[in-house]
Amino acid sequence: MNADSTKVERRKLASKPFAKSDRIFFGVARVAAYSSFVIIALILIYLVGRSLPALQKQGLINFTFGSTWNSAATPETFQLGPMLWGSILISIIGVVIAVPLAISIAYFIEFMAPKAIAKAVTTIVDLLAAIPSIVLGLWGAFVFSPIAAGWAKMLNHSLGWIPIFSNPEQNFLRSPFIAGIVVAVMIVPIIASITREIFSQMDRDIINASLALGGNRESTFRKVILPTASGGVIGGVLLGLGRALGETVAVLYVLNISFNINWTDILQARGGSVASMIISKFGEANPSEVSALMAAGLVLFVFTLIINSIASYIVAKAQPWRK
Amino acid sequence: MEKVIDLTPVARPKTAQPWSKKSPKFLISAAAASIIPAAITLAFVGLAGMDFMAALIIVFLPIQVIAAALVGISIYGRRGILESLLVVATIFFSSFVFVLLGSVLWSVISNGAAAISPSFIFQNNYYIQPTTDLGYGGVGHAIVGSLLIVGLSTIITVPLGLATAVYLTETQGKSKGIIRTLLQAMAGLPSVVSGLFIYAMFIASGITTYAGWTGSLALIPLMLPTVARVTEESLRLVPAELRNGALALGAPAWRAFAQVTLPAAKSGIMTAVLLGVARVIGETAPLVLTTFAADRTNLNVFSGQMGSLPTYLFGYIAFGFDASIKRAWGAALVILIIVAILFISARLASRTRTKARK
Repeated sequence: MNADSTKVERRKLASKPFAKSDRIFFGVARVAAYSSFVIIALILIYLVGRSLPALQKQGLINFTFGSTWNSAATPETFQLGPMLWGSILISIIGVVIAVPLAISIAYFIEFMAPKAIAKAVTTIVDLLAAIPSIVLGLWGAFVFSPIAAGWAKMLNHSLGWIPIFSNPEQNFLRSPFIAGIVVAVMIVPIIASITREIFSQMDRDIINASLALGGNRESTFRKVILPTASGGVIGGVLLGLGRALGETVAVLYVLNISFNINWTDILQARGGSVASMIISKFGEANPSEVSALMAAGLVLFVFTLIINSIASYIVAKAQPWRK
Repeated sequence: MEKVIDLTPVARPKTAQPWSKKSPKFLISAAAASIIPAAITLAFVGLAGMDFMAALIIVFLPIQVIAAALVGISIYGRRGILESLLVVATIFFSSFVFVLLGSVLWSVISNGAAAISPSFIFQNNYYIQPTTDLGYGGVGHAIVGSLLIVGLSTIITVPLGLATAVYLTETQGKSKGIIRTLLQAMAGLPSVVSGLFIYAMFIASGITTYAGWTGSLALIPLMLPTVARVTEESLRLVPAELRNGALALGAPAWRAFAQVTLPAAKSGIMTAVLLGVARVIGETAPLVLTTFAADRTNLNVFSGQMGSLPTYLFGYIAFGFDASIKRAWGAALVILIIVAILFISARLASRTRTKARK
């Protein structure tokens, strides 16, 4: 350090606000920015505060992973296990269905369609994202469920020997399978728009180079586009997963919520969803059950917070050109 | 100094992309491969009376895949098989999404149109039973309630989101990364959790009973990320020269923002507000937990239960009678129309922006 001390450091050209009005201006902006921090903190504080009685009575581990929910029993038992697993199962089904659809649409928009069609398709996908979930729930319950039950029946008849497609009761309505498809419809636009953005920001020259070297569309997609865009795609998928976990009303109408845990029988008419369970039980809940529902909300919140933070970190990493 | 080769598209003639030329042979065989399988499938459905779904899976897909593979082989040789599979899969999956969206829109519009009438839109739900026929009562109170609740949260959220975006774009703040991550995390907040939070904060603690304003508060965490992010994008699009020019002329930062940056980003901010409103206008779970429902028109957002379109829909689906389901479809159409209006205005606002900037 001492040897270089004669060298003049380059002066930093950022200036501090000196006028009083500017300090107020930047102060307001900072306060507003920190308000998002405050909101998240308040949510945590209040949910923890309200759910403490239930968590203390049930024990955190028992509450999260046990499998009984009975407000009439003495002592009351509130355990979230089947709902938590049900949420995860539905989200997995949703993501598995949504990912190929979303990547296809993104690929179609960016690399296949002529410009005018691509623009129209983008608008349509955005429109799909804007449909409120309760409208999708209504559609799912009265229009889509019978159709999807037909698909489930076909799956069961042709592939029923695989354990996950078995259904001895032959009742195909209100199953995790249908809820998963409805959730997939909700998260396709999320994954598609992020994937499309990543695709559109890719360096066209490496794609053209691959084509010029004799690669065709398929090998270019598999060996150039997908590896380059994988970070963003994974981030988008995780964001979709977060949305799927928190989906409330759309799932409520197409799923038979049952605390009889359903591990993998996706065609059977029982499943779980934390968010839908909260909204369906809230109306008739007594104070101690409300506390348990708060705890369920807390578990859901922490869960989605973790997934979303990882997702946004990955998406940000995948777009190093954005500062 | 290293020699730089100019690779910009201007310097590169169109003929330098031999892979994008299409031979007539390719065009003819591609057309044949896309028409023949569909024709055979239609023949099966139309003439043999096959179930459409079954025909699609058993007849159409295999024939389409084989036809596309044949075209691929004739153009590229054996590696063309995978290429044609990619094309078929892309188009099939994309059209599947369009069919789903089309089904949603069509069922809401056709079922909803049957329920909608002037009385449905302007009357409220007082004295209406779930089985009352559609001649009486409607969603007037719910439209008013939705507008009031969402309006109040817009009034709170927009300044907050705007100031957050200012922090993210105009300042040298050190915690931009954290704030951005938090906003992303908030964007994924389950709506039911937001409702539980406000319920725990105001209603369970006895500060107030169910009221419109608690619903407005519950919508803020859902609306803020959208408004902040879109506003940030539009502020970022304002050229730095404008901003620096104002600063160089001696304007303090707040004046440079208010008189130069803000007008330049005006339409983008309009888009942000509209998209934010569209995001929350159909949110159901938080309102069910915080405003409950009401049958009468309530114009006071600060006291008394308040009906809103999503809670109306929520209630009427739950009743399960034929008449109540019809009302639910009608309310769904009203929500969808509001969302569409917001959405189209947002598009128009952002279009004027891009036009003005050219």
